[in-house]
Amino acid sequence: MAIQLEQVSFTYAEKSLWKQTALHDITLGIPKGLLTGIAGATGSGKSTLLQLFNGILKPTQGTVKVLDVTIRAGEKSPKLLPLRRRVGLVFQFPEQQMFEDTVEKDLIFGPLNFGMSPEEAKERARKAMLEMGLDLALLSRNPFRLSGGQMRKAAIASVLAMDPEIVVLDEPTATLDPVSRAELIAQLERLCREQGRTVIIVTHRMDELLPVADRWILLKDGKIAFQGSGGELAADPDILTRCGLGVPHSLRYWHAIAGQFGLAGERPRLTAESLAELIASLPGTVRSGNTAGMGDAHE
Amino acid sequence: MNKAYQDVENAGGVLAVIQLDGVSFGYDPEHPILHNISVSIPQGQWVSIVGPNGCGKSTLVKLMNALLPKSGGEITICGHQLGEETIGAIRQCIGMVFQNPDNQFIGATVEEDILFGLEGLCLPYAEMEERLRTYTLKLGIEDLLAKHPGELSGGQKQRVAIASILAMKPGIVIFDEASSMLDEASRDELLRILQGMRSDGQYTILMITHDADEILASDRVLALHGGGLAADTTPQALFRNAELLEKCHLLEPYPWRLARELQSRGIRVDVPASEKELIDTLWPYN
Repeated sequence: MAIQLEQVSFTYAEKSLWKQTALHDITLGIPKGLLTGIAGATGSGKSTLLQLFNGILKPTQGTVKVLDVTIRAGEKSPKLLPLRRRVGLVFQFPEQQMFEDTVEKDLIFGPLNFGMSPEEAKERARKAMLEMGLDLALLSRNPFRLSGGQMRKAAIASVLAMDPEIVVLDEPTATLDPVSRAELIAQLERLCREQGRTVIIVTHRMDELLPVADRWILLKDGKIAFQGSGGELAADPDILTRCGLGVPHSLRYWHAIAGQFGLAGERPRLTAESLAELIASLPGTVRSGNTAGMGDAHE
Repeated sequence: MNKAYQDVENAGGVLAVIQLDGVSFGYDPEHPILHNISVSIPQGQWVSIVGPNGCGKSTLVKLMNALLPKSGGEITICGHQLGEETIGAIRQCIGMVFQNPDNQFIGATVEEDILFGLEGLCLPYAEMEERLRTYTLKLGIEDLLAKHPGELSGGQKQRVAIASILAMKPGIVIFDEASSMLDEASRDELLRILQGMRSDGQYTILMITHDADEILASDRVLALHGGGLAADTTPQALFRNAELLEKCHLLEPYPWRLARELQSRGIRVDVPASEKELIDTLWPYN
C-alpha cells in the first residue's frame, strides 16, 4: 500500500468554538502503482483528505501511513521534508502558484529547495516536461503566455520535477476545455502506467476518469461511502446517487446493457467507442432501429 | 450583425439588450485578441459562449461591462451606449459570476458577502433580508450564512458567489464557467436555477461553458475561434457539426457520441433520450 489510513478523523480548529469535523473514522488503503479516483459531493471532505497524504494536515485521531512514514494523532510527527518530496500534491488551479518569468525557473524552484544541484534540477525539469507531454521549447517561455491547458500541465510538471512516487491531484481538469481535459487525463494515466507512479485524482467529473481509474474512493459527509474497483462501482451505480453525485451517462448506459445481457461480471465498457463495439457484437441487435439516421436528436 | 436576430428586433417584438457592433480588443493593434465582433442578443435569451481555452471568451464578456476597455467598435447594453458616463448604469444591468469564486469574495461571512452587493444598491433593510432569504434558499446555502468564505469547499463558494449576484437581480447575468467547480448534482441544480431564470423571462443569460449539458439547455451558441465569431448557431446544430466541435475543443454529449459510434458500425439509431429507449430500439423483441 502506498497510503493507509486507519480510523482517521480530522477536525478543523479543534480547540476553538468553531471546531468542525471534516473527516470521520476513515479507514482506507491506496495501492502502489495504481490510479485511484476520489469523488464526493462538494463539501464532503475530499480536499481535506488529500492534505493528510503528505502531512500538511495531521490526523486528530487515528494513524496515517504514507510510504514508510507513520503519522499518529497526538504524537510528535517524524521529519516530513523527505515525504513532501516523495508525495507531490497538485492543488486546485495549480497555475496560480506559478510566479517565475520562465517555465524552467518555475520548474527548478522545487528541486533546488530540496537541495538538488542546478544541473540536476534542470535535468529533472526537462524530464518532467516530457512526462507531461510538453514541448521543451516552452521551457524558455513566460508561463503566463501559455494557453490554459499548457499552463496547467506546466504547473503539474513543476510538481513532477521533484520526482514524487505518489502524485495527488485536486480537480486537475477543472475549467479546461473538454479536449484539453481528455489530453490531461491521458497524460496522467501514462504517468501511472509507464512511470509506475501512484496517481490519485480528486474529481467531481467522474465521467472522464471512469474509463481509466483502477480504484475509487467515494466520500459522503466526511465518511467513506465506497471503496473498491471501477467494476464494483459499475455494478451498483446507485451508490453515487446516495453520495449526492450524479450517475454519468457512460455508467448508466453500461449498467443498463450489462443488466439486459447478464454481463455484470465483465470489465465495464465505459467509453462510447468500447460500448458501441460491444453492442455491435451482441446477438439480435436491430441494425436499423429507425432510418432517420444521424442527428435527429430527442434533446 | 446576425440577420435573424435583427429581424426579430425589426419585428418590434423583442428588444436587443446586448448589441455589439464591430467590437475589437487588443493590447497591440497588429495582434488583436478579439477582432470585429458584431452580435445582437434579445432580451430573455440564454446564450452559450464556447471556444477553446484562450480564445477570448472571458475577454469578450469583460468588454461588455468595461472591466476591460474595448479598442474599437460600439457596445450598447440595455439601451446605454458604453462610454465613460454610462459605465455605472451598465454595470447595474450586468451581474457577473466568475470562474474562480475566490476572486469575488468581499465579506467576512457568507451573509455579509451577499449583503455587500445589496447595500451597494441602497435597498431598504426589509428588502435586503427578503432577498438574502430567497436566494440562500434557492442555492441551498442557508446553513452557511455565518461561515467565513475560507471555510467553504470549492462548490459551496461557487454557490455563494451565484447567490450574491442573483440577489442583486441584474437583467443580464454572465456566468464565466461558473459550474466548473460544481459536482454533478450541484450542476443539475444550477441548470434548474437557470431554467427557472429563463422561464421567468426577466433575465438575459450569457454563459461561457464547455459543458455539453449546459450548452444543450441554452437557446443559442456563439462560438469564438481565433479572435473572431466562428459560428452563431443553435446547440443542436453545433453538436451535429464535427468540424465546428473540433475547432471549439468541445466533445458531444455521451448519448450523441454513442449514437455516432453505433452508426459508424452500421447500426442506425437516433440519439437516445435514455438508456431504456436505446435498449428498446436495439432489442425490441427481448
